[in-house]
Amino acid sequence: MANHCPARFDETMISGHFDGELTQATEQKVRVHLEDCEYCRTVLGELRTLRETTMSTEFHTPADSQWDERPQTGLSLVARGTGWIIAIVWAVFFAGYALWQLWQGSADLLERILVFGGLSALALLFTSVLLDRLRAARTDPYREVEK
Amino acid sequence: MTGPRSAPVPVAVPPPSEAQTVILAQQGEADALDKLARSCRQQAYVFALQLIGHPDDALDVAQDAMVRFFRSLERFDPSRPVRPWLLRIVRNLVRDRARRLRVRRTESLEPANDDALRFEPRDDAPDPEAQATRREQQALVWKCLQELNPRYREVLVLRDYQDLSYADIATTLKIPRGTVMSRLHRARRLLQEEVRKHRSGTGEARDG
Repeated sequence: MANHCPARFDETMISGHFDGELTQATEQKVRVHLEDCEYCRTVLGELRTLRETTMSTEFHTPADSQWDERPQTGLSLVARGTGWIIAIVWAVFFAGYALWQLWQGSADLLERILVFGGLSALALLFTSVLLDRLRAARTDPYREVEK
Repeated sequence: MTGPRSAPVPVAVPPPSEAQTVILAQQGEADALDKLARSCRQQAYVFALQLIGHPDDALDVAQDAMVRFFRSLERFDPSRPVRPWLLRIVRNLVRDRARRLRVRRTESLEPANDDALRFEPRDDAPDPEAQATRREQQALVWKCLQELNPRYREVLVLRDYQDLSYADIATTLKIPRGTVMSRLHRARRLLQEEVRKHRSGTGEARDG
């Protein structure tokens, strides 16, 4: 059997017909075509089988206790967001102050090593995350899915 | 003289409609909030499970979805149906999670199994052979669904598992109705192809 309709009928209409989502005129056109086309009747039968399988599938759902153990408000999310903002502001001020002290030449060798070491580590971590995100953006399976 | 009065006939009070429940919840009515939470969280969980395939991850997503749902409830128009809006929140969270997973590779990426499915007899006198065949078919379709590209998986889940109309799917995914029909048909054909491949693979293995 061919893998497409011999009459080149638009197959998507079969799904629309099966779901009862076509206009009256298109519906009539599909019905007439189905009477003559064995391939499209087979497609329709396969859609029916698939739908019967999916609609009869049942899923385990979590018990109420599993939900109750979890936070019911967004308070923890707000606290986490605020915490991150404060931490970032603090890190920027700290790094700025340390660099300023180095610029003034008042820092000894140990302080220079601590500042450069810390800032280099942060820069490397940031670069690592940035590279991963760029790679993820290029291979993101959802990138073509409309928002 | 009049006879004894009969007791007033109890009038059945219809349950509040979804819109009424939403309005009461927006006003902070505890019962309405509870009712909305109970009905929506299971829907959110099942939809997340159908998209992700892992019960623990689905529970995390559903919980986050409920937080977002109630955070934006005040802005929701009660005249509109809740379900497409709720499912849209879940779908966006699943999409964000998929992006995060591609960055944080430490999290599990193992394939979904059929532990999430509930196999229970649906009638009093089930034919064991028919039941077994149906279970096998459900598990196979479930497995193949997880292998579909997300853009096809989500439209298929919304129609063939969640039973949403094309209009509601279009609202949920923010795509035109015509695109829903064409993408859905493509998704169904890809799923059938995947099922066929698995069947022939299993058959070959059994024969070999």
